[in-house]
Amino acid sequence: MNLCRVSALVTIFLANSMIAQIDVKFEQYKLENGLNVIFHEDHSVPVTAVTVMYHVGSKNEKLKRTGFAHLFEHMMFKGSEHVADGEHFKLLQEVGANINGFTTEDGTTYFEVVPSNQLELALYLESDRMGFLLSALTQSKLDNQRDVVKNERRQRVDNVPYGTADEKIAKALYPPTHPYSWPVIGYMEDLSAASLDDVKDFFRTYYAPNNACLVLSGNFQPDEARPLVEKYFGEIPRGKDIERPPRAGAKLMETKRMVFEDKVQLPRLYLTWPTVPNYTRMGAVLEVLAHILTRGKTSRLYKALVYDKQIAQSVFASEDGFEIAGDFQIQATAKPDKGLAQIENVIDSILNDINKHGVTQDEIAKAITAEEVRVINSAATELGKAISLASYYSYTGDPQNYNHQLDLYEGISQDEILSVVRKFLAGPKIVLSVVPVGRQDLASQKGE
Amino acid sequence: MIIMVGFALLAGTVFAGDQLDRTKRPQGKPAPEIHLPQIQKATLKNGLQVWLVENHKLPIVAANLVIQAGSDHDPVSMPGLANMTAAMIDEGTKSRTTMQIADQLEALGATLNANANADGSFISLSTLSKNLGRALDIYCDVVCNSIFPEKEFERLRKQRLTTLVQQHDQPPAIASNAFNYILYGPDHPYGNNQNGTETSLNAMTVGDLRTFYQSNYVPNNATLVVVGDAKLDEITALLEKGLADWHSSAITPFVVPQPPPPSARKVYLIDKPGAPQSEVRIGYPALARSTPDFFPVIVMNRMLGGQFTSRINLNLRERHGYTYGATSSFRFLKGVGPFIAGGGIVTEKTDSALIEFLHEIDLMRAKGMTAEELAYAKTGTIGNFALTFETPEQVAGALQNIVLYGLPEDYYSTYLQKIDAVTLGEIQRVASKYLDTSTMSVVVVGDLSKIKDRIAALNLGEIVLCNLDGKKLR
Repeated sequence: MNLCRVSALVTIFLANSMIAQIDVKFEQYKLENGLNVIFHEDHSVPVTAVTVMYHVGSKNEKLKRTGFAHLFEHMMFKGSEHVADGEHFKLLQEVGANINGFTTEDGTTYFEVVPSNQLELALYLESDRMGFLLSALTQSKLDNQRDVVKNERRQRVDNVPYGTADEKIAKALYPPTHPYSWPVIGYMEDLSAASLDDVKDFFRTYYAPNNACLVLSGNFQPDEARPLVEKYFGEIPRGKDIERPPRAGAKLMETKRMVFEDKVQLPRLYLTWPTVPNYTRMGAVLEVLAHILTRGKTSRLYKALVYDKQIAQSVFASEDGFEIAGDFQIQATAKPDKGLAQIENVIDSILNDINKHGVTQDEIAKAITAEEVRVINSAATELGKAISLASYYSYTGDPQNYNHQLDLYEGISQDEILSVVRKFLAGPKIVLSVVPVGRQDLASQKGE
Repeated sequence: MIIMVGFALLAGTVFAGDQLDRTKRPQGKPAPEIHLPQIQKATLKNGLQVWLVENHKLPIVAANLVIQAGSDHDPVSMPGLANMTAAMIDEGTKSRTTMQIADQLEALGATLNANANADGSFISLSTLSKNLGRALDIYCDVVCNSIFPEKEFERLRKQRLTTLVQQHDQPPAIASNAFNYILYGPDHPYGNNQNGTETSLNAMTVGDLRTFYQSNYVPNNATLVVVGDAKLDEITALLEKGLADWHSSAITPFVVPQPPPPSARKVYLIDKPGAPQSEVRIGYPALARSTPDFFPVIVMNRMLGGQFTSRINLNLRERHGYTYGATSSFRFLKGVGPFIAGGGIVTEKTDSALIEFLHEIDLMRAKGMTAEELAYAKTGTIGNFALTFETPEQVAGALQNIVLYGLPEDYYSTYLQKIDAVTLGEIQRVASKYLDTSTMSVVVVGDLSKIKDRIAALNLGEIVLCNLDGKKLR
């Protein structure tokens, strides 16, 4: 351990193993109404990040109301009882804050990064929309944000090459009642159907302090912040307990092949296997496998497809774990006029080779080193630390797991890599070929 | 029932005493002290300037070699040369193959990236500080011993040609590339795709790359910016060793050519059948980074289209729901960079959105802004300055800014004063000078079967139909 590198705020230490872990210090407590509060002090920058994470995402949506959690997120920026429409952004941009929110399958996060003298403004605004949103809702605000969100869908999905591939895969991977079978952004017709009553119900059910985590990270004094948090959030009543969807992985009985013609010039192949939820050992092993397959020039698939054979423009693999299920995906974009069957054959032969001969200890070590660097970099900003602490609280129950996340990677063995390849990647999968219009011949349509 | 009422009253009384008056807005405390990065400097024996800002918060060191030649130096006949040279820099040295370079860096968890933009070429390294010596050894080898192997070049050439194909699938990329071409033309370096063209990539040879490298990648034409967990003497000792064989040589003086003179507004339409959105770009060549009007211009633009609560975004997104986001910006480059207003607009409202964009720009030009808006834009800019130096990347970016544009040493220490000094009169003057929509080009990429007639009916100027690269269709 190198003491020169240690600061009081973010310590990097070596555990018994050689894996370097971060040590982001924090204190945590709960208000009487159930709001979970986390403080992390860092006086090296004149900045404080304030995040409020609600443990609700598209997973909590109902059928025919997809996209609702995210549409709701937009409504949270349209004012509350004491904050007029437009004022939320106006007040924060007046002090130079960076502001935004984001919705995932499992959670919705709002944040303000403020010059640290403006902490109270952020607490005031976050608490007003947590406690006093309903009286400010109007049909015209909803209509306006519905239009904005539809534009967001056009911008991020419909006007993007391959933009709808993910939702086609999810739909094939999960049964129609599984909440991961639909996209976070939602379908256009469901966005049209969302009513003001839906917004109110959703708020009453999920936007309660007992379903939220407030994090302050940066240049502030906890002794000053504690009374402020109580002052602004303490009077908000606790809501009902939230029913959480149970873990439910996808189960494929057989491989499904799909071909989709899109306005693209390069064919792209997506292979997707159902796997495991996030924050699991198995998920970590699969992430290491993703590194070995496609991260960096020497990775197995990159070297074979992009470097040696030059039949692919790019290839990328990842383990995408969520709260109640996860999947492993490899996607490869072909060079012009190259068929996807050829690419799938190369992927198959490399996976078979791993299945037969395994991977090397060096490959595992490189992957874990890359994870170490990723974790250290995640602590580079106050916002990054705040979001991580809130996520680990919401999804694992203990923010300390942020500091210990590399425990999941400790001692990953060659045998474990082999076992996930055999357990998951040898099983049924979704094969999606996206091909240029009229070029079904480029799809991978081999029989199993 | 009585009990219930009593309880309610009691609850009411309890709250009345404590209840927060939420109509009162919290007042900010005095602004925090901002610690500007302290730059330590050294000059290597070969003439390379090394700038270091120590930051020991994380065990990471980030280095960036800033070379004063970017795609602005691309010969008119060979767009993409600067970019390709940068992309090839880690594809082989006198002693390491491309795979050895990658393998050795991956083993350390270090990343090396090289790229070029209009103003410069950049080779960056990020490494754990415990691996600094070994990572710098590879980095220095790449910087001064790159050999541009033919085999790797052929691979990258194909990759770039395919990138051009991919860009034609992406409406925002089509719009931005076509916009540059329309504004600057094929004879100006800002007019061409920085990735090159099919013709230029096919004509390019490793000889061209080696010439570009030898004439521009020299110590006296570069500055190495380092931020992170390192000490100056430690860094310079490693660099003296690693870069011993790298030598200064004469640099040909270079000035970015002037853009074509302004002409009457035209509307350039590019067809993307079936597109649910139209990508809009409105603007013209406007200003170089060296303009004395920099500060009034950025304050003015913050209000026009530079933030969420800007006039353009509030109008097009929040008032009309035409878009997910609309912006305006001045791209400050070494030469005269463009003013750009634009965004992705729902197809059915493309014509209405054009009217609103032009209206907001014209209004700013005609009337400037109010005293309240000026105060608002200033406090926002000033407050945001505190957020500028949080991460090593941000600090490195600030240093790169100083190096690339030759900004004065006190640029950041006088920044707040200069923002604060901007007057309404200056806002009015720069708005009037730099926001003339009568000579701006309007570029729209969208489904012309749905939008063309309605745009033509606006009578904004001659309609010019273009291909995906912005070239006029015959």
